[in-house]
Amino acid sequence: MTDEHSMNWTDRETERTRRYFLAAGATGVAGLVAGCGSDTGEETETSTESGTDEGTDPEPTGTASPGSAPSWYGSGPGAFGDRPAPGGTSMDEMPDLSGQLRIYSGRGESLVGDLVAYLDERYPDFDPRVTYDSTPSLASRVDTEKDNTPADVFYSVNAGALGFLAENGYTQSLASETTDLVRSEFRDGEGAWTGTSGRARTVPYNTDRLSESDVPEDIMAFPELTEYEGEIGWAPTYASFQGFVTAMIELEGETATREWLRGMQEVVDRAYSDEFAIAQAVADGDLALGFTNHYYIQRVLAGRPDAPLGTAFTAGDAGSVFNVASAARLEASDRPEQADLFVRHLLSAEAQEYFAVRTFEYPLVSGVEPVGRLPTIDELSVPDVDLSQLSELDRTVRILREEGVL
Amino acid sequence: MDTETAPTTDHVSDERTLPSWGLVVLAGVVSVVVLSPLAWMVYAGLRVVGAGGAGAILLRPRTLRIVLNSLVLTASVTAASILIGVPLAYLTVRTDLPFRRLFTVALAMPLVIPSYIGAFAFASAFAPRGEVQSLLAPLGVESIPGIYGLGGAVLVITLYTYPYVFITTRAALKSLDTTLVEAARTLRHTRLQAFRRVTLPQIRPAVTAGALLVALYALSDFGTPAILRYDVFTRAIYVEFNSFGRDTAALLSVVLVLVTVAILAVERRSSGGERVSSTRGHTGSDARVRLGRWRWVAVVPCLLVAGLALVVPLAVLGLWLVRTSGAASLRFGLEHVLNSVGVAAGAAVVAALVALPVAHLSARDGGTLPTVFERASYVGYAVPGIVVGIALVFLGSQTPLVNSLYGSAALAFPLLLFAYVVRFLPQAVGSTRASILRVSPALPEAARSLGRSPLGAFRSVTLPLIAPGQIGGAALVFLTTMKELPATLMLRPAGFETLVTFVWRAERSAAYGSAAVPALTLLAVSAVSMLVILSMEGYHVE
Repeated sequence: MTDEHSMNWTDRETERTRRYFLAAGATGVAGLVAGCGSDTGEETETSTESGTDEGTDPEPTGTASPGSAPSWYGSGPGAFGDRPAPGGTSMDEMPDLSGQLRIYSGRGESLVGDLVAYLDERYPDFDPRVTYDSTPSLASRVDTEKDNTPADVFYSVNAGALGFLAENGYTQSLASETTDLVRSEFRDGEGAWTGTSGRARTVPYNTDRLSESDVPEDIMAFPELTEYEGEIGWAPTYASFQGFVTAMIELEGETATREWLRGMQEVVDRAYSDEFAIAQAVADGDLALGFTNHYYIQRVLAGRPDAPLGTAFTAGDAGSVFNVASAARLEASDRPEQADLFVRHLLSAEAQEYFAVRTFEYPLVSGVEPVGRLPTIDELSVPDVDLSQLSELDRTVRILREEGVL
Repeated sequence: MDTETAPTTDHVSDERTLPSWGLVVLAGVVSVVVLSPLAWMVYAGLRVVGAGGAGAILLRPRTLRIVLNSLVLTASVTAASILIGVPLAYLTVRTDLPFRRLFTVALAMPLVIPSYIGAFAFASAFAPRGEVQSLLAPLGVESIPGIYGLGGAVLVITLYTYPYVFITTRAALKSLDTTLVEAARTLRHTRLQAFRRVTLPQIRPAVTAGALLVALYALSDFGTPAILRYDVFTRAIYVEFNSFGRDTAALLSVVLVLVTVAILAVERRSSGGERVSSTRGHTGSDARVRLGRWRWVAVVPCLLVAGLALVVPLAVLGLWLVRTSGAASLRFGLEHVLNSVGVAAGAAVVAALVALPVAHLSARDGGTLPTVFERASYVGYAVPGIVVGIALVFLGSQTPLVNSLYGSAALAFPLLLFAYVVRFLPQAVGSTRASILRVSPALPEAARSLGRSPLGAFRSVTLPLIAPGQIGGAALVFLTTMKELPATLMLRPAGFETLVTFVWRAERSAAYGSAAVPALTLLAVSAVSMLVILSMEGYHVE
């Protein structure tokens, strides 16, 4: 089950433009979001070791009443302008959710709580019981509870935890009606789990300080950016950063990664504790550029549309790894149909639109596009790495320590 | 056992041994139950050993280094806490320090602040480009002394744990037989000599009891060293746990327990003979040491310690509050407060009850078994909450008979209380034990000679005398349970949110404005229980 979900859509024959200039405020979009996005600007996430790995959300809004369009449809602070009703498969076309369902969610309540509340309200007979905790902690719980786990669904911030659960026989393959909604790159080959939304590694840069062409296309070239010494930001304790280093070890080898880490330490500013702070610092001009997940940049821009903050992507290397939040139903569940149906609802047009405009993630079903300033998934140049390997951080953490980064 | 040392009266000797055996069995059961999570840790750890991975983990150089780091941190924090806690206790009890009551409360209060909040506040205030530096930047201050590393970790953990020493020392000083000090003075001892030869031996058990809680806290704390970037043993446990290495985390925790056992043995040896019961305990104001012109100088360290420990986190929480624009983004309500208070009160009551046999037995009998039982209650205190949590997940979900209830609130709440008791029982045992030590065994014996049964004598004589110690211990458990996060996250029923889980959630999503109000509420509720603890110490054995 390891090869099928690798990033094979990157092997495209056409050589596309591989990097995207996504300057803020370049279009009239800025005016639409001004004044209504200040709340989103204050939100990010923190992480101490390699535990949590998820973003945050804008302020909650009232949930939509059944039958009506969800409150996040149309324009809004996260939408960066008017958005048409999304394509994909609507919840209207899915069987109703009902009864009590237990969900272990490694994704934070501030991220997905409104979506769960929407489902709760949409289906009067549906009673979702969500336990929020860090993804590794919940995975350890399932591994300890074994067939006595109360959970029906496991919702993870990354593919790695579900890879771990699937390998140990705790998951039950999803129905094809569910997995068919997602293109094959984003799910397990045997249907043990499916991605629900995606995030790309990116390079935020200050558009006043440098232009897109100043940002190297090759992640390995970053230690040479001596002209920006002390103005490059990274957050080595953050799980997504460590996943990126893991990808580098996979793709470039340990020796080259160690050299890269040594070289980068000559040019980086202090270690940041979270990547939202890096995106803020780049927008403020305190940093020239940095390494963050793509949505932090969008989150800053949602609050400050005129910030001189651009998104650059490296080309097909560790610097542009794409990972997915994902979900599975558990083998021990006594309500497997409902568990499958819940996962299917996460892939509905409504939920995918929610991820696009509320968490600024990449929707994974066709017909729902990422928010305005992001390139589509097809336009990304993503490396060919096994997603479930990226959260195996043991060796990465050791290397980061040995090189004095942690 | 007290029954053996006390003068016996023949006609009741048969009945006397019975409750003692009952007490031994009761204390033994409590010890076995609170040690049961340890059994899981050993079991899980042995799986790693069985798979042949233990040597590589335990013998790698890094393991040795972080064990040393942990020991250095623990020793430094303990020493610093004694150096701060004992003099401040002396100043507030035995001298005419101005605003004594105010300082007593202010100097005990840092204990209500979870050290991770303290660490977070110190990090955001004193980090390079933190709040303080940006305040000072216009004045041309380019950098301030770094908060990261051993120094910062020692500073922050000390500031939030020295009250253990402060409180226990105060209690001992208040019940100190001051006539002895006066006698020493008339024998031409200087104040310092009198302190060393008379006061110190009397308060030493209390100081070491407080220092033990400090040491074990410092050893087991994860949040503060992580935030302040000092690499310690608990961090290795968390790293393993977070990369699906649950069994390795358990194995490393067993190592931590072994270190704890060593510390417990050392502490027991150093506190030595400690029968401190006294029928006198007057410390009238006339007995207070007059500081004279040093009176106001003595205010400075009190202000400094209380100020640093309280003002920094309150200021940072205040900033969060002020900087929040508009409505808080997470819904905070009364139910969070009630949930927190409910489970904390439950844990406090249970801990106070189960502490009683353990404390009573070990206070009245210094034999091996009672000592082992009493020491056993401390082990869980040094195990990281996340490991206690997963151990109870195992016990709850895999134990026959119980496991059918697993996943329901009917089992979740007992498991949660169980976790709190495992983690915080020593606080109740220590406080109760100290209060029993202060009751002369002659008192219940007098009741016995008047025809009361052993249980009756205990109920009518001992219990009223030790009740304040029990309440103080329960309040301490209440307060630490209010702050507990990792086991709470792991064991709470779905949808059950408390003040700390709310703060956790808000911090996790960096909605700091939403974190401020529940964090301040947590401090306010805990402050009330701290007042209870302080009011209980005013009690004397007359």
